[in-house]
Amino acid sequence: MSLEHHVLLVRPWDQQMSGSGCCGRLGGIGNELGNEEDFAPQRRDMESMGVVYRALRAALSTDVKMSVVDPRNTVWLVPWLLRKGWARGLRGRALLREVGRGTSTTAVVVDGRTVAWGQLPSSAEVVDLVLAELYGPHCRTG
Amino acid sequence: MPAIVIAAAVASAFFLGYRFYSSYLARKVYVLDASFVTPAHTMEDGVDYVPTNKHVLFGHHFTSIAGAAPIVGPAIGVFWGWGPALAWVVLGTIFAAGVHDFGALVVSVRHRAQNIGSLASTVINRRARTLFLVLIFFLLTLVNAVFAVVIGNLFVANPAAVLPILLEIPLAIFIGQYIYRTKSSALLPSIVGVLALYATIPLGQQFPIELTGIADALGVDQVRNIWVVLLFVYTFFAARIPVWVLLQPRDYINSHQLFIALGVIFAGIAVGMSTLVAPAVNDVPDGSPSFFPFLFITIACGAISGFHSLVSSGTTSKQLDKETDARYVGYMGAVGEGSLAVGAILACTAGVAASRADWDALYVDFPTASGGAVGNFVNGVAAFANNIGIPFDFAVIFAAIVVISFAATTMDTGVRLQRYVIQEIGVITGIKPLARNLTLATTIAVVVPLAMALLPGGGEAGYTFGVLWQLFGTTNQLTAGLALAVIAVWVTKSGRNPIAVLVPLVFLLMMTTWALILNLRNFVAQEQWVLAPLDLIIFVIALWLIVEAALALRTAFAARRDGTAGVSTEGADQDPAAVRDANPDSGQRRT
Repeated sequence: MSLEHHVLLVRPWDQQMSGSGCCGRLGGIGNELGNEEDFAPQRRDMESMGVVYRALRAALSTDVKMSVVDPRNTVWLVPWLLRKGWARGLRGRALLREVGRGTSTTAVVVDGRTVAWGQLPSSAEVVDLVLAELYGPHCRTG
Repeated sequence: MPAIVIAAAVASAFFLGYRFYSSYLARKVYVLDASFVTPAHTMEDGVDYVPTNKHVLFGHHFTSIAGAAPIVGPAIGVFWGWGPALAWVVLGTIFAAGVHDFGALVVSVRHRAQNIGSLASTVINRRARTLFLVLIFFLLTLVNAVFAVVIGNLFVANPAAVLPILLEIPLAIFIGQYIYRTKSSALLPSIVGVLALYATIPLGQQFPIELTGIADALGVDQVRNIWVVLLFVYTFFAARIPVWVLLQPRDYINSHQLFIALGVIFAGIAVGMSTLVAPAVNDVPDGSPSFFPFLFITIACGAISGFHSLVSSGTTSKQLDKETDARYVGYMGAVGEGSLAVGAILACTAGVAASRADWDALYVDFPTASGGAVGNFVNGVAAFANNIGIPFDFAVIFAAIVVISFAATTMDTGVRLQRYVIQEIGVITGIKPLARNLTLATTIAVVVPLAMALLPGGGEAGYTFGVLWQLFGTTNQLTAGLALAVIAVWVTKSGRNPIAVLVPLVFLLMMTTWALILNLRNFVAQEQWVLAPLDLIIFVIALWLIVEAALALRTAFAARRDGTAGVSTEGADQDPAAVRDANPDSGQRRT
């Protein structure tokens, strides 16, 4: 098992992802084709998760791996959550619950355990949750 | 020959292509540099620019590029036999699509993750960006027309699929509302959504929806045309509702369906040991289009697709952690799309018919082959699904639903994009009603492809469809040609041998212009006064592209001779500390 810690931020990209990529695809800001207003809700999630990302980058050492993944990227996300959850000893319903949480439209997952999902708390609180998960409850920014 | 043997041979060819040819491209043509600091690091903000693990990025990239076109093109292309179709898909994937998708990603990364339209302007000239937009305009018009016909044909052939597809709309809306309002798990509702969609199949079989009576009452010869009109009425409204209401939630359902369909096809092939009944090279009737050049524009997506450059350069390049990851993400993405096309070829040559005589009846001539191509794919997939225990009648509707879901999403997207393009044209030309009036722009985006989809001249077998599909193929190949031209100019300016990029570029432009000339001659002879001008316009665009590419390459070669080239200096001013921070294990950057 890898000793490297992995923090995963789950949130959507402001773009269409499947069904028509070979010949038509909508995107938001910075994309060639599309309209940024089309993806305003996803953009909000991107921006708010961006704040969390930057806060975590500042708080975590460089040996902690960080990734951002779209919940629609199930071909990678679901096997990863299953593998990491299994490695943590989760089985059955507990494992499925963890996979369900980790595939929320917004979620923060540390080494396979989802520490926040849905309506996320403030970035400072997320950092605390991540640090507590990585290094124990005594290790918080506050 | 057993289909499993073909699948294994193709897998081996793709493996060798990735192992050796992409390695050659990485070392000698694109000269990937593990220590180059990618835009994901230099502009890292956790929002648009995020260094991402290559496996995560591949999942995102592949899901984003796959669609219905790598199914339709090969399903028609086997008209010339499975040999030419398979050879083009395999060789095209290895030597054209891989070069294109991989190259577009690298060039974008070397230009601060600019998208392909901007790159055309930066690397070639400003006119190239206009050319890109013009190409996209015609591509979208033709996409909307051909996919309306595809769905119309499938609805006529599979009336039991209509109800599930109709129910997919409220299902997707409900899933979308649930996910975005509760911000809960997207996986469970979307899996439930897919299962619920398939659970409606028996309902559809119980209550098939046919429009024969309406067509008779209206005096319409082809029932398909009633569906085409209804589809465009639907897209007129669908294109005006917010993306997150329908289009975005359907993403979740479609992403599952893509992998379910791939799994069913290859599991069915492995379990059932189906054999190819189609001829390796088909002795096509006199008067049929010849496979040189028409095969190469009939099968666009699956062998090479210009739209992939938009995905490579638009999003993927902003997330590339290391430049060396571009080989895996870009080249393997093309291989993934090629695999889908191979699945379509096998479905239409091994799954769809039990004997050579049955197959010959389905591909008796080009009008029949093109009109029934997608239906053949659906029946072929159903046969494979039947191999793994899924009842055939159920499997037919399942396969039809997969194709229609993808095609309908493409139409939703295409009409919406076309509306934006028309509004943009309104802004550029100063025609204010076009720029401001949403209804007018949407109406134009709907009416033009609708008229094309309804064009007479093909009879019940759908000759018009085959012709329209080829025109769509030419625009997609020209888009790929533009991206390849950008890549070739960049490689040349960088002082490297561009032959690996020039070969697919020249081949595509030759096949495309050759096919356009032959079609133009036929359209004029047949007095098809809508298709002939359309073909002529696309031909002029092709010439424009050839001139721009030739001029840009001549300039690049001249600059190289004079010693004034050297665009590979992008990033030469990178801060060494930033390089070390971004790639601590990669050593010092090459200078």
